[in-house]
Amino acid sequence: MDEFWQQVMTGLATGSVYGLLALAIVLIYRSTSVLNFAQGEMAMFTTFIAWSILQWGEYWVMFPLVLLIAAGLGAFIERVIIRPVEGAPVLNIIIVTLGMFAILNNVATWRWGGIPKGFTAPPEIQVTGVKFFGEGALDIGPTVVSYHDLTILVFAVAIMAALYVFFQYTPLGLAMRATAQNSTASRLMGIRVGRMLTMGWALSAAVGAVAGLLIAPLILLQPPMMMGVLLYAFAAAVLGGLDSPVGAIVGGLIIGVSENLVGTYTPKEWLGPDMKLTVTLLIIVVVLLIRPTGIFGRRALRRV
Amino acid sequence: MRRLSLPSLPLTPKLVAFAVLAFFLIWWVPFSHVLPEGFPLRFGTYRTFQVSEIAMWAIVALGLNILTGYNGQISLGHSAFVAVGGYTAAILMVDYGWPFWSTIILGGVIAGSLGFLIGVPALRLTGPYLAIATLGLALATPQILKKYDGLTHGTQGINVRPEVPEPPAFIEDWFGIHLSNDEWIYFLALFIALVMLILAINIVRSRIGRAFVAIRDSEIAAQAMGISVPRYKTMAFAISAFYAGIAGGTYAQVVGYVSPESFNFLLSINFLTTIVVGGLASILGSILGATGLILVPELSDLVSFIPGASLPAELSWAFYGGALILVMIFAPYGLAGLVHRLTRWVSTRPRAELRNVVAGVGLGVAAVVLADQLIGGFVGQTVGWIAFLLIATFLWGPALTRMGARGYGRLLEARRGPPASPGQTGAGPDDRPSEEHPDAGKR
Repeated sequence: MDEFWQQVMTGLATGSVYGLLALAIVLIYRSTSVLNFAQGEMAMFTTFIAWSILQWGEYWVMFPLVLLIAAGLGAFIERVIIRPVEGAPVLNIIIVTLGMFAILNNVATWRWGGIPKGFTAPPEIQVTGVKFFGEGALDIGPTVVSYHDLTILVFAVAIMAALYVFFQYTPLGLAMRATAQNSTASRLMGIRVGRMLTMGWALSAAVGAVAGLLIAPLILLQPPMMMGVLLYAFAAAVLGGLDSPVGAIVGGLIIGVSENLVGTYTPKEWLGPDMKLTVTLLIIVVVLLIRPTGIFGRRALRRV
Repeated sequence: MRRLSLPSLPLTPKLVAFAVLAFFLIWWVPFSHVLPEGFPLRFGTYRTFQVSEIAMWAIVALGLNILTGYNGQISLGHSAFVAVGGYTAAILMVDYGWPFWSTIILGGVIAGSLGFLIGVPALRLTGPYLAIATLGLALATPQILKKYDGLTHGTQGINVRPEVPEPPAFIEDWFGIHLSNDEWIYFLALFIALVMLILAINIVRSRIGRAFVAIRDSEIAAQAMGISVPRYKTMAFAISAFYAGIAGGTYAQVVGYVSPESFNFLLSINFLTTIVVGGLASILGSILGATGLILVPELSDLVSFIPGASLPAELSWAFYGGALILVMIFAPYGLAGLVHRLTRWVSTRPRAELRNVVAGVGLGVAAVVLADQLIGGFVGQTVGWIAFLLIATFLWGPALTRMGARGYGRLLEARRGPPASPGQTGAGPDDRPSEEHPDAGKR
């Protein structure tokens, strides 16, 4: 039973990283109906920037700074690269994001080199005697959880909550939701639609940056590091429903856990760890066949 | 267009173009290696291999364009079908000694049947959901190939080279030409691509092709016209996968080696890029896209020929990405749309203006090269580029002002308004994939 809970906890931790990146994908998809293939590379790029800052700075100084830089990068990409193809067929915009994928990946390799680098996990903080972040593991009854896995989970939940409050209770969040739902009507109501789209990209890039910062200590920091994570994040976003932020996180958690369980508990001879990706993807396809727009996704209806 | 006419044979520009292309493909590409080293457009073994590659990827692009461009279903799983074709050919040729042509056909049929099987569940999925589900297929393929190594030889792959067909004796007997293996393989790939090209043209122009387009533009309207939507959608998947399987069989001959990593998901993404950059719903676009896929990475070398420009060799992939973005911004209908716009522009301009444009570019380039050679360095390059701009401004005259002032406006017009009909399908502005998401058009 211990092993089972162990696998579930590790799965939840990696799953929340998939979920965070999926959340970033969903934020963009909701407002522009574009699958951003460059999302992972944007996160990778900002994580490299974070690494550069860490060469002379403190972790908790770097953290907000990197979020700001990421948001700036996202806004810049929307304004300069996505805006000229706004309104073009969706496939064209997908190819543009693939172009950005190539550029970001190549520039990162060129600037920082392809050799994997270690990346620091969030350092320990003591708040009134309770330990947050840092090294070691915590005993939670049936199993132990490493502090870093806990950190990831906490961050995912915190970001989710913050975004919920932002979207539900602030005027800006309301404006962004309105833009995503019906941009023409929003424009007529006086919302700056273009600005909202830029904000959406900035927000999404910041969320993606957190995913990058949290996964980098687990897998080494290197240019191709987010490629696998991005594919899982796509799967998570689709599983949860591409227009549902909650779905993205839930989808990520489901994929993280089921991937670990499939790897551990299926017969090694013809499935096992080598086939865990395949089986996980098969599960997703089966779910999609039952619910073609994901678990939480709404069916897009069209008046004819 | 002016028509040169000789007493017996009317030499239309189209006929001349075909004759030049046929000469190039049949004679120049394989046989130009007899020319001295360094001769421009001399095709060595490597170039011949590249042209064979273009032929093989053009087959996939044709098939994927039938599915995505004409039928509007996005597939990111075509590397799996190529793998099926490639492995069928490799296993049957190496382990069972089948003749190569039968394995290519059988590979296509098996891939096509698999495509049909995938097409049935795909009926329920649309747009990005279908894209990601098929991406799953592409991701799983290398793992499956590695895991069940009894049949597939596992990670080490299969070396097909010893079994790859050699040029048959009759060519030497009949034509007196000795072909090397590479040249024979090139002709083989070219022949297969031609057959598939003719088949594709016939499919998209037939009842089936029209049904595909009708379903893409509106499933409900198509259904109301009596088209069986599920039947034609699965048929599109099967045809498309058949094409990919044939291309896979060709891959085994051209490359001579198949391994799980030859068919990873990046290949699928490359295929999608190929058809969008080439031009969706366009036969010409599929071929241009495949050509671009092979040649664009090499174009980054050309940057170093432009005086004053430099690109670190490590940034060639970024160059490729930048090229993708620029094509999508300035040619929303891909290379085929660009060709179409260009021919229309040329055929509607007064001759004097065209002459000025050509002369402007020619003189400008000459000025840049001269200044670079004579003065050299940063000063020479700057002088050269200023001269280029001056000459261009004087000679382009009206064309430049018009393009300068209205260039971006026309770009917007081309994106939002009625577009130029892309490619050679002869279809009008409606010949575009409909929006994947109903909200997409509302902005």
